[in-house]
Amino acid sequence: MDASDRQTRARRGRRITALALVGVVVGMAGLAFASVPLYRLFCQVTGYGGTPRVALDGQAGGADAAGRSITVRFDANVNPALPWRFKPEQNRIQVPLGESALAVYRAENLSDTPITGTATFNVTPNKAAPYFVKVQCFCFDEQRLEAHGGADMPVSFYVDPAIAEDPDTKDVSTITLSYTFFRAAADPSRSAANLSRPAVTTTAGTPNG
Amino acid sequence: MYIVLSIVSALIGGGMSWIIRLELAEPGIQFIQDPQLYNVMVTAHGLIMVFFVVMPGLIGGFGNWFVPLMIGAPDMAFPRMNNISFWLLAAALCLLVTAGLTGTGPGTGWTFYPPLSNSTFHSGPAVDFGILSLHLAGASSILGAINFITTILNMRAPGMTMHRMPLFVWSMLVTAFLLLLAVPVLAGALTMLLTDRNFGTTFFAPEGGGDPVLWQHLFWFFGHPEVYIMIIPAFGIISQVVSTFSKKPVFGYLGMAYAMVAIGFIGFVVWAHHMYTVGLDVNTRAYFVLATMIIAVPTGIKIFSWLATMWGGSIEFKTPMLFATGFIALFVVGGVTGVVLANAGLDVQLQDTYYVIAHFHYVLSVAAVFALTTGFYYWIGKMSGRQYPETLGKIHFWLTFVGVNVLFFPQHFLGVAGMPRRIPDYPDAFAGWNMISSIGALITALGTLLFLFIVWRTMAAGKAAEPNPWGVGATTLEWSVPSPAPFHTHEELPRVSAQPAE
Amino acid sequence: MFRNFPSVSALATVALMAACGTAFADQPYPWQIDLQPAASAVAEQVREFNYLISVIIVAISVFVLVLMAYIAWRFNAKRNPVPSKRAHNTVLEVLWTALPVLILVVIAVPSLKLLYVMDRNPAAEMTIKAVGHQWYWSYEYPDHDDFTFDSIMVPDDQLQPGQPRLLAVDNEVVLPIETDVRILVTSDDVIHSWAVPSFGIKTDAVPGRVNETWVRIRREGTYYGQCSELCGVNHGYMPIAVRAVSRQAFDEWTAAAKEKFARADGGGTRVAGRTATTTAR
Repeated sequence: MDASDRQTRARRGRRITALALVGVVVGMAGLAFASVPLYRLFCQVTGYGGTPRVALDGQAGGADAAGRSITVRFDANVNPALPWRFKPEQNRIQVPLGESALAVYRAENLSDTPITGTATFNVTPNKAAPYFVKVQCFCFDEQRLEAHGGADMPVSFYVDPAIAEDPDTKDVSTITLSYTFFRAAADPSRSAANLSRPAVTTTAGTPNG
Repeated sequence: MYIVLSIVSALIGGGMSWIIRLELAEPGIQFIQDPQLYNVMVTAHGLIMVFFVVMPGLIGGFGNWFVPLMIGAPDMAFPRMNNISFWLLAAALCLLVTAGLTGTGPGTGWTFYPPLSNSTFHSGPAVDFGILSLHLAGASSILGAINFITTILNMRAPGMTMHRMPLFVWSMLVTAFLLLLAVPVLAGALTMLLTDRNFGTTFFAPEGGGDPVLWQHLFWFFGHPEVYIMIIPAFGIISQVVSTFSKKPVFGYLGMAYAMVAIGFIGFVVWAHHMYTVGLDVNTRAYFVLATMIIAVPTGIKIFSWLATMWGGSIEFKTPMLFATGFIALFVVGGVTGVVLANAGLDVQLQDTYYVIAHFHYVLSVAAVFALTTGFYYWIGKMSGRQYPETLGKIHFWLTFVGVNVLFFPQHFLGVAGMPRRIPDYPDAFAGWNMISSIGALITALGTLLFLFIVWRTMAAGKAAEPNPWGVGATTLEWSVPSPAPFHTHEELPRVSAQPAE
Repeated sequence: MFRNFPSVSALATVALMAACGTAFADQPYPWQIDLQPAASAVAEQVREFNYLISVIIVAISVFVLVLMAYIAWRFNAKRNPVPSKRAHNTVLEVLWTALPVLILVVIAVPSLKLLYVMDRNPAAEMTIKAVGHQWYWSYEYPDHDDFTFDSIMVPDDQLQPGQPRLLAVDNEVVLPIETDVRILVTSDDVIHSWAVPSFGIKTDAVPGRVNETWVRIRREGTYYGQCSELCGVNHGYMPIAVRAVSRQAFDEWTAAAKEKFARADGGGTRVAGRTATTTAR
């Protein structure tokens, strides 16, 4: 085996290593993008980060044998870019474990133009989320309200009786369900609304968009 | 070239930190009238120090120079790729400076958390420039990493088995793998942020079903390995220097090598300890507490092995050795505060306070820069053919060592007392320690000026360096070639029979 | 001859910690080197844990630094010209792997206990909601007819005597003592963080989601905190101030607050109020 032959072989070895490493890089970058749907799926399946479960069959899990119940509070937020009023019709309700319950939020468009909004939601405490099962809700669906129009938005859910058995969640007596309405990303007036965001001035600093 | 870039960046980044410290010397706004400018400075200081000082210095500079020398290869596997990698980095630095000067600049912190970094709250191209700059820097790192791994796996001299490689080479190998796995994730996340900003996607925007917390997960999945990317090469340099000046082989060579591998590996599964307050599930936090604390074990192995290397040695405290001992001292202090921060329960008090600042400045700013300086003094003769002035080097060490401790130690107290980071003005009660901290910055700045003078003296009037100025302790291959090391050294492959580290 | 600054200051820390243990304040005080005094059981436990871990880390640091100083003195080239060639000692290596593990266990057990205590959810008697904005906090009292108000920092030139600079606000959050209060935290723009060191609370305010924490305040007083997540230009100028009062005083205050913060449309709803303030600005 002469020297040049050895050199060619060494060069090929290097090239193979380098190509394999490029593959790793592409794989990791792909993984970063894949993390977006994976993360969402993961949250939905495990209730991680306060994402409530969504019942697929639309059936409640069956009443709790011991007749225990839990308080569910309702919280509402509206992003300032969306000129809506959005409130729960009830501050809280007492729900027997395992029985499905219905709550209603009321949304009103305060502006002179029709606007599309979309809502995110979560449940606190986080650890209770896996036991909070939504049967039906308006989350993530785009909701369009006519100028000065309003709509009732119902949520039906039940709390899995297993929450009282899990040592981590035994102490939970109140669950808060929170919604935040945003102007839908696709809404045409969205960018204009963002640009006109008000800035707060304090004496210490200059306001800055 | 990398080292020149690193020093230039260090001056820019250091200058910024000096302005920050001056601003914080007394309560009230001193001279940065616009808090946005302060935020931009904080952001740029962080990015420059991480991506343009420590990484190019340790990895690009010393790595590219000494990895081939130490394993007996003529050059890196892909010299041209190396060149591209450098110029990408230079371009990235230019872009970052542009970002800082565009509009109101990126005032997001180096973490770029959306929604603050999205187009609503940072309109204008400044953040886009910042993102592109990181993209280029990332591409540069990835190319570098591929080059290192290929070189180390394929181009070792006959007889240079994996377990005979000097620890610096091991450290570069681990670092390169960390880069390879972590940087693409950052690149992906940055790309998503870029499209969120410019093309209406909503990966991290809640209004489109995205989640800003996902950004934090992705960022820290990169960000935590990133801190090991910065510190592991430092471990490598310190191991070489401690062994050289103790005139002893490294104690527990295999333990040292695999401790680095372990640190790198665990580094990938602890990212959420940066996010304890974001609303994570309690069991998740408990896991991250434990995983994070485990890192202390391999780190402890390294510290004790260095001490054991020194034990029984015949230690000569030349400037590089002084800096190396300084590194160990500072790293211990920064390391134990890391264990404190790992505890989610206590971290609630310390998250985003000056305690965190003190912690990571001890391990990164100070320890990593001490390693850079160690490397500089240790290898400057080999690189330039001229030795540095010994006495001035020692003065530089003491100035810097005292300076950084006065600078950063009081910040622990500020953090415990609750002073949040990234604020241009603070409640009056924090005045005392801030003043001391700023005095420390002054001392450190004096040390830096002295360092510049030393660099100039070395280049202009340094004594010619022998192939091996350090005597019997310096056993690695780079000391077997003349100083300065000629291009394409080891054209005739050296044969390694004795294990360099045992 | 090998002096180490950190070890000296670390020792000083321990001494000073003991000396200042009894100092009393609800806001940071000059030359403070300790956590702010606890105003809740959780914060008290955080403090105790901090003492434990501080002693451990100072001890480790001192041990390593003293050992290093000894090595530097004993194995100096002048004193020990002939180096040993020893590079292995299995017993030692096992020891310094096992010992840190033991120390970590000592830290981890109380640490996790603390973590789970903090995460408990007592049956809270009332709820408030803190909403982060660029750059102020607003608060809602959903259990008290849902009144809401903004809490904005008092600028330097309008400070009353006794108000701490950069910490005082125009409308403090008022809470009753000896009451379990649930605190919901969210944001309507970027990420902020609601922090009150004396309560042992720091909770990120993330837009699009609500985080929950709780407090039971032990004594009356005014407690201060600052926004703890970089949120833009005036991040340093949106403090948190909580005034804890007796239950009776709290009832009086809520009655007055309902009047004071009543909304123009009489409905007392948050959104209407927000729109009003927005247009007024």
